[in-house]
Amino acid sequence: MGDREYQVLYFGPQHPGAPGNIAFKLWLDGDRVVKAEVIPGFLHRGFEKMMENRTWEMNVTMSYRFCVEDPDHLEIAYALAVEDIYRAEIPENAKWLRMIQAEMGRVASHLFWSHFIGGSVGLRTPAYWAVAAREEILKWFARISGHRIYHNLSVPGGIRYALPENFKEETLRVVNFVEEKARDVEDALLRNSIFKARLRGLGKLSGEEALSLGVTGPVLRASGVKYDLRVNAPYLNYDKVRFEVPVGSAGDAYERSVVRFKEIQQSLSIIRQSVEELRPGEPLRVKLGLSAPAGEGVARVESARGEYMIHIISQGGRRPYRVRLKSMSMPLLTTVVDYLISKEEVTIADFPVILASLDPCPPDLDR
Amino acid sequence: MVLPTLIKSVKYLVSKPYTRIVPRKSQPFKTESIRGAHVLDMLKCVGCSMCQQVCPAACIDMVVVEGEYPQNPKKRFPRIDHSKCTFCGLCVEYCPVGALTMTTATGYELFTTSKDSTFKEPLKLKEALGKVTVTKDLFTSAYAQGVITKESSSRG
Ligand code: SF4
Ligand code: SF4
Repeated sequence: MGDREYQVLYFGPQHPGAPGNIAFKLWLDGDRVVKAEVIPGFLHRGFEKMMENRTWEMNVTMSYRFCVEDPDHLEIAYALAVEDIYRAEIPENAKWLRMIQAEMGRVASHLFWSHFIGGSVGLRTPAYWAVAAREEILKWFARISGHRIYHNLSVPGGIRYALPENFKEETLRVVNFVEEKARDVEDALLRNSIFKARLRGLGKLSGEEALSLGVTGPVLRASGVKYDLRVNAPYLNYDKVRFEVPVGSAGDAYERSVVRFKEIQQSLSIIRQSVEELRPGEPLRVKLGLSAPAGEGVARVESARGEYMIHIISQGGRRPYRVRLKSMSMPLLTTVVDYLISKEEVTIADFPVILASLDPCPPDLDR
Repeated sequence: MVLPTLIKSVKYLVSKPYTRIVPRKSQPFKTESIRGAHVLDMLKCVGCSMCQQVCPAACIDMVVVEGEYPQNPKKRFPRIDHSKCTFCGLCVEYCPVGALTMTTATGYELFTTSKDSTFKEPLKLKEALGKVTVTKDLFTSAYAQGVITKESSSRG
């Protein structure tokens, strides 16, 4: 593509509309984006290699570092994979608690996303309420794990810390608080005519297109494909709770928003059910030996952005031999963005909206 | 219609602000279990280096401190660099004798408000806290002055 005919613009990594540590090189024809080239590498740390050089227990603190918005699923997936190598069976209590942790993480992530999508169309006011709700979740995490963002709560073998005394009441209080706030944000955004006008019909993906582009998660479900690992390949105790998998049909940016807001409500319902199953006082952790047996461990979880897989090969000893992470945002930022730009007329004003509606986590690319 | 957004906004317009003004009007949010700066009980530490081995940030090194420590014949103690520490708490968890514990001092409390000292002395806690991290020089003097006591811990 000759640079002379088009205006070339760098979008990110500091651009407020860019979803994080990532940049795009955009070719513009007037205000229409005709080509976008993704520029990754702003968070290149080589997580896989770093994990291969650290011991099993240290890697918990490595496993979640590349997605700030949704670290819990990454942490849980690592723990599940290592337990797969050790062939360890963790206590029921720990499974329920991990589900609460995972769903809290998903809700926090979706709330944070509503901040981005609101911001991208200039509706910042409701976005701030969402951040307040997320803050309440972070405080909840600080109470049970000691940290707000990177919790270190699920470790191979179970849950690291004993539960605080009023855990159940506190969790239900947070769930109720978040539910109210999330409904307010949902009403304020989804029923707003400006929001509808900007998002309807934008960034449309049909079910087949989404599948062939490798998309998973809420973006795929918004295109009408009912695929959710929690139902299709249940892990932890997801087969023992009742919840719906919200599915859309239009596959546009608006539908994705609808699906995410519905998911928040479903997640809160899962938390309510799981809290009831917890048995206070029963063990939360089995101790695993410092050296792992030789073997392979695989874990797949449905993170807030889609399917996340971790594959660990152990040759015995204190460190993994090979760690492979399959991230959830890779297709969103590469194939999907390319495809949408080639298919529909995307203006420079719509570009951040499309990105926000996909809700990628850019450091994923740099793992 | 933008009416739904406006109606909701009015609700939040009249409700109390959620944010807090830190540090002018209120203290940062804390819980009992917050993982913060470490305290070392030098009368328990046996100098086994386990904490150094498990630290994912490689921010612990072992230093020799002169004094009477019968349980620690080589007089080797961990020194923690809090400018590198991620406060993951692994060192505390894997210490076989429970010599390391964590306080709830985190974030900006670990740094002084003066720009000069923020970067030069990241290891020193704010004076007002009256607690000292496990740097070699600091903890020896802290023990001499009785600043560190066995109760000054939150999570063991
Ligand atoms: S808290 Fe974690 S990073 Fe900090 S010194 Fe201990 S093991 Fe190292
Ligand atoms: S603090 Fe604990 S783990 Fe570290 S050297 Fe002393 S006894 Fe060993």
